[in-house]
Amino acid sequence: MDQLLELFLIFLKVNLLSTSGPASVGLLYSEVVGNLITEGQFVQAVGLSSVLPGSDALQLAMYIGYAVGGIPGGFVALTASILPPTIIILGVTVILHRLRRQAWISNFVDGLAPAISVLMLFTAWKIFQKGGSMGWEGWAVGLISLVAMASQKVPERIVIIIAGIVGVIFLS
Amino acid sequence: MNQPKFSVWLKLLWMFLKVNILSPSGPASIGLLYKEAVGTIMTEERFVEAVGFSNVLPGSEALKLAMFVGFAAGGIPGVLTALLGAIIPPTFLMLIVSAILERFQQEGWIGGFVAGMSPAVAALIVVVSWELFRASTRKKIDHRVILIAILSAIAFWFEAPSPLVLLAAGTLGIFLFGNRSLK
Repeated sequence: MDQLLELFLIFLKVNLLSTSGPASVGLLYSEVVGNLITEGQFVQAVGLSSVLPGSDALQLAMYIGYAVGGIPGGFVALTASILPPTIIILGVTVILHRLRRQAWISNFVDGLAPAISVLMLFTAWKIFQKGGSMGWEGWAVGLISLVAMASQKVPERIVIIIAGIVGVIFLS
Repeated sequence: MNQPKFSVWLKLLWMFLKVNILSPSGPASIGLLYKEAVGTIMTEERFVEAVGFSNVLPGSEALKLAMFVGFAAGGIPGVLTALLGAIIPPTFLMLIVSAILERFQQEGWIGGFVAGMSPAVAALIVVVSWELFRASTRKKIDHRVILIAILSAIAFWFEAPSPLVLLAAGTLGIFLFGNRSLK
């Protein structure tokens, strides 16, 4: 029960402090890895959520929730992820309809964005470091993936799947 | 838009089910949603407004977009149907995959799979982080964004709790960007 409550609060917090699923990865990492799930599970969650179709935020919630507390855990994490944007949007569209352009919320999010980017860089480094393949293989996979994704010519999900298969063949 | 309400809701549900099955993530679904929604249930202007809005509010992008489009097309019931359509496909798929993966968690090849995926996931995060930073500076290439980035880098370096750092960065944003709306 305590774990379900913890899940709920974490996902509430993460979804209040990030602007999209991919952007929430940094904060999510610092909140769940080590106390609720392992490094490896987190990598699977991020990898799978970018491979499977649909919202990354909800998939991260589902994976982590399920890993921690089975199906109830999945639904608790899901609910906590859905609540903040729903309440805010309903508030904005219904009540604050006129105040939109001046809303302080938008300035808050503008301040949030650079900090989220920096946090994500730290998280990327931690995941890379603890990924278990620190030799030249890890660097090779990382750099090739980076170039492939940054060039925007190869879909991210293809890169992730290929990297996983390379891992199964060469790193198991 | 003069059709009976019920058919609008059904259309919304179907549209969001489709968009969320066919697109890999929230931000990626914008193009597909544009094709589906603009002209049929909402005007281009409102769509652009919805996209702009979902960028400045916290929470999952796909959900915010779904709710804006739903609201434009069918009021509050529209919001709920669009939400349902956006939630069901990704979470159901993930539930199935996590349940299957759990059976293999102890097997050797999973370790290799994760080891191979780790550097790629790290690279993905770097790319998203860069896109996010560029999106936040495109609006205003200025020292305030850089200042927040440097301050938060220092804070993360000394391992300050991330939620607190983000909260502080947002609050700083309210003060730094606050005078913008006065012009």
